[in-house]
Amino acid sequence: MAAQILALAIFIAMFVLIVIDKIERQYITLGCGLLTLVLVFGICMHDVNAIVETLNYKTIFTPEFWGFGAEAAAESTAGINWATIIFIAGMMVMVEGMARVGFFRWLCMLIAKMVHYKTIPIFITFMAMSFVLAMFIDSITVILFLAAVTVELAHLLKFNPVPMILSEIFCANLGGSATVCGDPPNIIIGTSLGLSFFDFLKNTGVMALICLVVTIIYFYIVYHKQLKQTTGEPVKAEDLPDPKEAITDKRGFVFSCIIFLLAVVLLVTHAQTGLTVAFIGVLIAVLTLITSGKAIGSVIKKVDYKTLLFFIGLFIVVGGLEQTGILQIVANFIGKVSGGNAMVMVAIIIWGSAIASAFIDNIPFAATMVPIISDLAGTTAGVDLHTLAWSLSMGTDIGGSATPIGASANVVGTSVAAKEGHPVGWGEYCAKVAPATILVLIICTVWIFVRYL
Amino acid sequence: MAKQLIISISREYGSGGHKVAQELATRLGLPIYDRNLLDAVAAEKDLTGTGLKKYDEAPRNLLLSRSVRGYSNSPEEITARMQFDFLKEKAESGESFVVVGRCSEDVLKAYDGLMSFFIIADEEAKLKRVQESRGVSAEEAEMIIRRHDKKRKSYHNYYCQTKWGDARNYDMTINCSRLGLEATTDMIENYVKAVQAKEQ
Repeated sequence: MAAQILALAIFIAMFVLIVIDKIERQYITLGCGLLTLVLVFGICMHDVNAIVETLNYKTIFTPEFWGFGAEAAAESTAGINWATIIFIAGMMVMVEGMARVGFFRWLCMLIAKMVHYKTIPIFITFMAMSFVLAMFIDSITVILFLAAVTVELAHLLKFNPVPMILSEIFCANLGGSATVCGDPPNIIIGTSLGLSFFDFLKNTGVMALICLVVTIIYFYIVYHKQLKQTTGEPVKAEDLPDPKEAITDKRGFVFSCIIFLLAVVLLVTHAQTGLTVAFIGVLIAVLTLITSGKAIGSVIKKVDYKTLLFFIGLFIVVGGLEQTGILQIVANFIGKVSGGNAMVMVAIIIWGSAIASAFIDNIPFAATMVPIISDLAGTTAGVDLHTLAWSLSMGTDIGGSATPIGASANVVGTSVAAKEGHPVGWGEYCAKVAPATILVLIICTVWIFVRYL
Repeated sequence: MAKQLIISISREYGSGGHKVAQELATRLGLPIYDRNLLDAVAAEKDLTGTGLKKYDEAPRNLLLSRSVRGYSNSPEEITARMQFDFLKEKAESGESFVVVGRCSEDVLKAYDGLMSFFIIADEEAKLKRVQESRGVSAEEAEMIIRRHDKKRKSYHNYYCQTKWGDARNYDMTINCSRLGLEATTDMIENYVKAVQAKEQ
């Protein structure tokens, strides 16, 4: 009992400290993780096994972890999900390599040029590009570059960048829900439950694609009048920057494109090849570093180690909740409330996840919920774990779009807009984006009910 | 070339500190950065939007904003950081100026040319000034003063290690009700000139 109370207190303290934002979040999760190991597992439980299971380091040294075993095993839902951390680290290296050579700016500028720098076509193609890129690359990077180019184009073409940035944010979060590698919650869900790229694509991917069409129509209706208004005389098309100018290193650019395509192919085929996402992450990171030449130091330096450390601490704290049985209690509670009815359970997971993710970081939320849905599926007859996984994925990924603080892409996008003198308040953001979130969540709920239940 | 002079005036709401700063800038022939600071930032950075003004000198709302990889989406924080960077750039360029509030006594403390002052006033004097300038009752004036000072204090204390109004952070903390605004300005001007003379 004391261990449960302590684990829960540490978890709540971690969330409160993350919200207060006075201490860098990786120190918060690592500090809380250390407290979990020492106080909960050590002093209260005297359980060395709980510490070993939560640190989960032994899995890294098994062939299965890299995809070379008899069968690719799912990561345990308990403790540190090393596959997630290694994959994200690998993708970070690749993305830094791509950013260094100017890939993202080139792509944005190329698409803007292809649609002849017309505002509405840019608006629509950038939404689609945001969705597609976010399927493979973290949404923060996608929005960082898209929003920066949007602001630059808005400056030249004299339109308000806010409608475009908000639409791009929404589509990045939506694109992230489509694949196992799109958003951190999906990586956690996928690696914990042994779900492949195609498992996600055939399920959340289909939902996301349908929702993308609806989203583009929705944002067009909401914003087309505002986007047609110009605030001055636009720069002539021939005076606009040439996409090629964005490329800073031609040789590196070619390598980056090849590595990115290789990453996509490996991710798409990983169920067939048996290679795990951890292996793919390491491979693309190594290839990026080898081909970076003299820039290798700057690529390594720019990797966001803080986020990786944040994940490690987070998994330990959530491991504390799992080992002490708190998550089992939550799972039992959801099971009781739903009365064993799969529809009610799915509705609770998708809408509960969405509401929670709209206000708190969806990564810790997803990490906490994965063991809960595993317990739920294991203890409730007629409830398929995969259905709950898709519900959790769509709920956390889409729900995060509803408010300016729900997902990382929202924070970065609205920050870029504000730095250009266009602050986006909660009122403006929620008035336009929250209805889209609700609309998409309704579509997902109905789709899951009809297709799976 | 004359030595750089940066005068930072922090003030309680209704104390008349802003008037003191304006008068000092006029007498010393220096540009003043106050509410106009955001216009200067917008002009220099060629910003397309003008929506940041309402977030001037406001603390970050911790529940309604977040930071990700060094990107904060708090308009208050973005506004503040832009102003701090602008002030540092100006100070770095060697420019002399007067600046009102904006945590300037803390943000610019690394510069030798900085002299900082915190202007306070008696409660009655502040009430009278706010009643006259805003045409409100004494009760309303009291509420306005309390609200603004609370906002300035939390704004300052969020961005700085030091505390707003703590005498240890300023060259001088002056109650301008004693001497009046004119004589307070004289006193600061004399102090500034005396320090400059000593350092030459």
